[in-house]
Amino acid sequence: MAKRYLILEDGSAYAGEGFGAGATTSGEVISNLNLLGYQETITDQIYHNQIIIFAQPAIGNVGINHDSYESILPTAKGMVVRDVTNISTNRLSRLSLDEFLQQHNIPGISGIDTRHLIRKLRQEDGPMKGSIVDVADAHAFDQLNATVLTNRQVDQVATPKPYPNPDTGKNVVVIDFGLKHGILRQLSERRCNVTVLPWTASAQDVLNLDPDGVLLSTGPGSPLDLGEGVLDMIREVQAEIPLFAIGLGHELFALANGAELTMLPVEYHGSSHPIRRIITNDIIYATQGQGYAVVAKSIDRDRLITTYVDLINGTVQGLRHRDFPAFSVQFFADGAPGPHESRDLFDEFMEAMTARREG
Amino acid sequence: MPNLDNIQKVLIIGGGPTEIGHETELDSATVQIITSFKKHGVRTLIIDNNPFSVALEEIQPTNMYVQAVTTANVRHIIEKDRPDAILPTLGGLLGIRIAQELVENGDLANFDVRLLGMPTTTLQQINNPADLNATLKEIHEPVIEAQVVGTLDEARGLVEKIGFPLIVKPVAPRLDTNRTVCDNVDDMFNALTQGFQQSRFDQCTLERSVIGYKEIEMVAVRDVADTEVLIAGLENVDTIGIHSGDSILVTPPQTLNDREYQDLRDATFRIATELGIVGVLHLHFALNPANQHFYVTKIAPYFSRGVALAARTTGYPIALVNGALLLGQKLVDVKLPSQYVKQTAIMEPTIDHVSVRIPIWPFQEVPDADQHLNTVMKAVGSTVGVGRSVEEAMLKAVRSSQFSPRDVLPSVSNLTDGEMIRQLIHPLANRILVLIEALRRGYAPEELSELTKIDNYYFVKLRHLLTIEKEIQDNPLDVAILKRARYYGFGDGMIARIWQTDTATIRHLSAQAKITPTYKMIEPTAGEFPENLSGYYSTFEYENESQPLGDRTALVLGRGGNQLGPNSAAEYFTTEMLKQLKRAGYHTILMNTNPNAVGVAPEFTEKQYVDPIQLGDVLNVIQVEHPDIVIVPGNRHYLTRELGKLPINLHVLPPDQETGEPAPEMATIGVSLFVHKQQKIAVGVMDMIAPGINKSLAQVTAFRMPAELPKAKRVNLVEQAKEAVSERQVTGMIQVLFAPKSDDSQQLVVVGVRPTRLTEMAFLSKVTGVNWVRMLTRQHIGTLDEGELAKISIDLNSTRVALMNAAFPFRQLHVLNRPGTTDQEVGATIAFGSSEALTLTNLSDTSELDQIINRTI
Repeated sequence: MAKRYLILEDGSAYAGEGFGAGATTSGEVISNLNLLGYQETITDQIYHNQIIIFAQPAIGNVGINHDSYESILPTAKGMVVRDVTNISTNRLSRLSLDEFLQQHNIPGISGIDTRHLIRKLRQEDGPMKGSIVDVADAHAFDQLNATVLTNRQVDQVATPKPYPNPDTGKNVVVIDFGLKHGILRQLSERRCNVTVLPWTASAQDVLNLDPDGVLLSTGPGSPLDLGEGVLDMIREVQAEIPLFAIGLGHELFALANGAELTMLPVEYHGSSHPIRRIITNDIIYATQGQGYAVVAKSIDRDRLITTYVDLINGTVQGLRHRDFPAFSVQFFADGAPGPHESRDLFDEFMEAMTARREG
Repeated sequence: MPNLDNIQKVLIIGGGPTEIGHETELDSATVQIITSFKKHGVRTLIIDNNPFSVALEEIQPTNMYVQAVTTANVRHIIEKDRPDAILPTLGGLLGIRIAQELVENGDLANFDVRLLGMPTTTLQQINNPADLNATLKEIHEPVIEAQVVGTLDEARGLVEKIGFPLIVKPVAPRLDTNRTVCDNVDDMFNALTQGFQQSRFDQCTLERSVIGYKEIEMVAVRDVADTEVLIAGLENVDTIGIHSGDSILVTPPQTLNDREYQDLRDATFRIATELGIVGVLHLHFALNPANQHFYVTKIAPYFSRGVALAARTTGYPIALVNGALLLGQKLVDVKLPSQYVKQTAIMEPTIDHVSVRIPIWPFQEVPDADQHLNTVMKAVGSTVGVGRSVEEAMLKAVRSSQFSPRDVLPSVSNLTDGEMIRQLIHPLANRILVLIEALRRGYAPEELSELTKIDNYYFVKLRHLLTIEKEIQDNPLDVAILKRARYYGFGDGMIARIWQTDTATIRHLSAQAKITPTYKMIEPTAGEFPENLSGYYSTFEYENESQPLGDRTALVLGRGGNQLGPNSAAEYFTTEMLKQLKRAGYHTILMNTNPNAVGVAPEFTEKQYVDPIQLGDVLNVIQVEHPDIVIVPGNRHYLTRELGKLPINLHVLPPDQETGEPAPEMATIGVSLFVHKQQKIAVGVMDMIAPGINKSLAQVTAFRMPAELPKAKRVNLVEQAKEAVSERQVTGMIQVLFAPKSDDSQQLVVVGVRPTRLTEMAFLSKVTGVNWVRMLTRQHIGTLDEGELAKISIDLNSTRVALMNAAFPFRQLHVLNRPGTTDQEVGATIAFGSSEALTLTNLSDTSELDQIINRTI
C-alpha cells in the first residue's frame, strides 16, 4: 500500500497508508464518534466536501451492503482511520470498502493516530481544512491553503429533478437538501407515497402535488447560504400542510420562523449525547451531525416551542410551531446509523397528516 | 447527600467463594457499591464467607456477617438487624435465588425490606423461564420457545415439534449448571434424567438449538425514570454452542452492521423497561448471521463478568453509577468523582479502541476433565488485551493468556491434519492456537469460517498477523518490520524468538529507531471530552497521553487472569498491598490484564496499565513512569530475574512460594510467625487438614485455628518454631510445619519452614484481626515500626474456633468429586464459631470436611 499523508492547515502532517482511491483531495476535517456505521456515514451527503476522521478504530469489517446506503453517490472527500480491512460480506461477496471508495474516487488513509487528531480538533484547535496527499511538501500545503471550500454544497448534492418513490399511503413531498435514504426508508415503512422535489421547489410546486405532508430533509453546509426563497417556501407551506424537518431542514425551519443560528466552535458528529424530550421529560439518544445550532434566546416564543434539548452542550434539538402542525429536529430521527428511539417522530408526522385529513 | 428513597441500611448478599462462573468481579463491584452507598449516607451490611474478599475489609466488623450465603442466614440477619433493603445483584445467581426465596416465604414483606435492583415480579421471572418467556412474548421480543417437561414421555411428544438439535436445561437448578445439546433421543433422555435431579422442581426445558448463531451480549443501565444507557456490546467470537465464558470475546462488536447492533440495543431497552430493572442489565442474544433475526437467550439483571468487562473496556464507572441508581437517583443527577467529565454517567459510551478477552482454563491442574468447549463453562479466569486494532488487541490477549514466561506463544504444529480438523470442529481449550495453526497450514479464511461458524473477519485478521510474522522471519533485525510488528501487538519476546536474539537487542533496536510506545487513556467519550481517567493501554502511535505520576511511585505487577491455585487469595493480597503503599505515601500504579481484578478499581490505584505482564511491556511502563519501586509477584521467576539485572528497586510480593528448601511430604500443624529483624511474633498455631486419604502436604486444603492441642503443647510448638526460624535467614510471614515423629505419633517435630501461603495469610489476617499483608508490605518498603509490631498481642488459645476450607471446581468440570490439592483450589470459605459444630454449619460445603474431622480427631 502506498504511503500517503493527511496534512492540516496548521502545518501538521500525518503519514499513513492509502486505501480506496489514490486521488488528492481537500476538505474540511471533521470527526465522527459513532461506534459503528461507517458505510452510512461515508454515504451521507452531509459530509459533502468533508474529510471524516473515524473514532471507531477498525473500519471496513462488514464491507459494503445494500441496506446501508444513505446515498448512492457519496461525495465525502476522504476517510481517515486507524485500521482498515479489505473484506466483503454481502451476498455476492463483492464490494469491499476499498473497492467502493475507488469507484467513487474517494481516498482513504489508514494507520493514523485518529484519537490524537480527534482530541486535537475537538478539545484544542477547532476545525480546520486538510488534504490527503502523496507528498507532504510545501507545495501541498500551499495548495491546501489556497483551497477555497465551496458554500454551494446543497446545490452539488441535492437532486436537480423531482422523482417519485411510490407507495399506497399518505402523499408526502420530501424536499431534498442532500437527503439521506434513512428518511425514505422510514417513510416507506409507513407506506408513504413519496415525491422528492429539488430544494429550489417553490411553495406552488409543493402545493400542486396536494400532499398530506411535507418533509424538509437533512443536507450539508450552512443553511445561511441558501437564500430567502426556501424560507418563503417553508413559511407558505407550513401554514397549509403538516411539516416535519430534520437536520439542515430543521435549521431552515427555525430561520423561516424568525430564529437565529450560530456556528458551533466544532462540528459534532456522534450519538452519545443525552437529548431531553421536554414534553415527557425523558431522555433519548440519536445520531447528531451538526455544525450549526439554533440560538435558544432568539426563538420567538409566540411562534416556536423548544421540544428537544441536548443535555451536554445545551443546544436546541427540536422545535414545534405554535399555530401549525409543523415541527423539526436537529438530530437524525431515521437512526441510520445510530440509535432508533427517535424514529417515533415519523409516527408523529403520520398522526399530524391523519389529523389534518380528519380535521 | 441523602438518597431519594430514604434508605439508610442495605444488606448486600455476597458472592461467596470464587468458582467457575464468577470470580473476583463481584468483590470488585461490591467494593465500589459500598463506596457509593457510603457517599449517600447509607450503612452497608454484608453477608459473605469468602476469606479473600476485599469488600469485607472495607466495612466495619459490626456490619459484617461472615456466614455462609444461605436463605436462612440472610433471613436471620434481616430479623436481627432490620435493613431497609437487600441487594441481591452482587451475589450472582445465588443472590437472586436467595432473594426469590425471601420473597416467596414472605420475609421481605413481613420485615418491610425492599428489594433493590428490580421488582419482585421480575425476580420471580428470572428464576422461571416459562414466565419470563411469556413476558417477552408479550412485548414481542423473540425468544426461543422453551417447553417445560417433567417426564421423558412428555419430552418424546415434543421432539417432533422442536426438532434436533435441541437443548435440555434444568428448571431452577440447584447449582449454576448446564445446557445440554442433544442430537438424538438417547442424548435427550440422558440429559433429562440428569436435569430432573438438578432441578428444584424436577423439571427441564426443551428448546430449539441455535448453535452456530452469533452470540452477542449487551450491557445496559437503567434508572427509575426509565432512562437507559447502553454501556457496551460484546461479541463472542465463538458461536452459540460454546459457553460465552469459554469464548473469546471482542468489544465493541466488529462483525455486526449498525442496524443489527441497534436492533439489539432496542431490544435491550425494551426488556429493561418491561422488567423494571434499576441498575445494571446484561443480556445475551443469538443472532442469525444469514437473516439478522435474533433471539434473547439470557437475561442477567445482576453483576457478572460481562458487566466487569464492559466497565473495564469503556471506562464507564458502572458500579459507582449503579450504587446511586439503586438508591433512586436518576442518571442525569449522578455525580461522579472529579476525574470524570460532568455528565459522564448520562453519556452513552463510545470508544476508540478494541478489547479482546480470552478465557483461561484449569486443565493443566485438572487434566482428567473433559477439555472440549461446549455449553458448560469451564474457564476459571480470563485475560484482556486492549489495542487500536483487532490484531493488536487479539495478540495482546493471546500473549497474556498463555502465561509464557518469555512471552512466546506455544506451538501446536505437531498436530496431525486429522487431529487439527477434529479440534476445529470440536474445539478444545487451546482453540485460538489451533485456529492460527490451520491458517498457517494454508486453510483459507472462508473454509475455516464454514467449518467453525466463526465469522470470516476474524480469520482475515489472524491471517494478517501471520503475514506480519512471515515478514519478521524474512527480515531479521529490520527496524521497519520491528515497527510494524510492535504496531500490531507482537511482544518483544516473540520477536526476539523469531530473530533468535534476546529482548535486550529488540529494545536496543527499538530505542535507536525511536519505536516507542504511546499510552492511550481508556475513557468512554472517544476523545470528545478531556476525561482524566486512570486506565491506559499501549499502542505505537503519535501521541502519548500518559504522564508520569511523579515522585515516590510504586509499580505493582498483577498476576494476570485468574487460574486455579492461590489466585483469588493473591488478588486479595495485591489489593491490600496497594492500599498500604498508598497509605505509605506512594503513587500506586498497577499493571494487570485481569478484567475482573479488584485492585484495578481507582479506589486502590492511581493508575492502571492494561498490558501484557511481560518483560518488554513492563520495561516500557517503567520507562514512562520511572517508579521508585517495582513489585513483582513471586510466581514470575523469569521476569524477576530479568528485572533484577537492571538498576530497579525490585521487591517480590506476594512472596515467592518456592524457596528452594524442599517441602516436607506431610504436616499436621503449621505455626506461623511474623519475622522482622530480631522480632518473631507468633501469629497462629493451626491444624493442617488434608481431607482425603492422602495426607501429603499438597492435599492440605483445610485449616483450623487454634489447633486442637493442649495449651502447653501450643506454647511448646511456638518455641520450637522460633528456634527453627532462627536457624534460617528468613524474614516476613513464615510458617513452620510440624508432623508426628515416625516412631512416636505423640511427638511433633519440625519438618519444614516455608513462607506462609497466600491463602493461609488471608485466613490468619481474618482470624487475628491483624492485617498481615500490611505488615509484610511495610516490612518491604521499610516503614514497619518495631515498637508497633511488639505491641501486637495474639491470643493463641482463643476459644473462638475458625475454619477455612478450600473450594474446588470439580463439580462444574464434571470430574469425580475428590479431595483436591492446593494447586486445584478455586476459592475458599471461612467460618467462625464458639464451638466446632456451629463453625461447620457456616462453611458452604462441609459434608466432606465434617466426615474427615470426625474421623481423624
